[in-house]
Amino acid sequence: MKMTRAIVRPDKAEEVVDALAESGYVALTKMEVIGRGKQKGIRIDEIYYDELPKVMLMLVSESENTDEIVKIINDTAFTGNFGDGKVFISPIEEAYTVRTRSKGL
Amino acid sequence: MKEITAIIRPNKINKTKKVLDTLGFPAMTAQRVLGRGKQKAIIGEVTMDIDTTKLHEKEGTMRYIPKRMLTLLVPDQDVQLVVEAIMRVNQTGQKGDGRIFVSPLEETIRVRTGEKGDKAII
Repeated sequence: MKMTRAIVRPDKAEEVVDALAESGYVALTKMEVIGRGKQKGIRIDEIYYDELPKVMLMLVSESENTDEIVKIINDTAFTGNFGDGKVFISPIEEAYTVRTRSKGL
Repeated sequence: MKEITAIIRPNKINKTKKVLDTLGFPAMTAQRVLGRGKQKAIIGEVTMDIDTTKLHEKEGTMRYIPKRMLTLLVPDQDVQLVVEAIMRVNQTGQKGDGRIFVSPLEETIRVRTGEKGDKAII
């Protein structure tokens, strides 16, 4: 199992969620985060923004599905400008469902 | 070391904290998150005054459900204990009880002292 964490633009988040749901990846967690990338925030005229609001989407899937998930996120969150976000994938060893106390997704 | 990420009901957070406290795992990070599961969010668990019969009718009528995410770092041998404790406290049998993920962790460092590894989380 792998955990995919995607940091995307807040205005693109719902599009990404809908696209993922269409492909069958319904379960996810969404959180509002503040961050910055390599460009160290953004400068618009005189005002310098050190940290920018983003949305982090977190979903856990079987390892073989990560490529598809990343592709969906990349396709829908893409605008071509700085600040489109990043996708991180990390390993998950075990998953439990609390309701049934069963192991696995 | 392992990282345990538990997504649970917001109203169970105090009890979970108390139980983990008595077991000797007081350290954690808690975060308010929104999420949904396989059923695409069911309104059932949100209490409100308005008439919700229509919303109860089918699954997926609500976009997200508010949840609490707990992140705990525990030594390898305590993973089962913590997972079991969280499951026992949070199990209601209804959909939406949450999920627990266990992932490996390479290094931990306590900022104050610079201690590394298991020492930094106990």
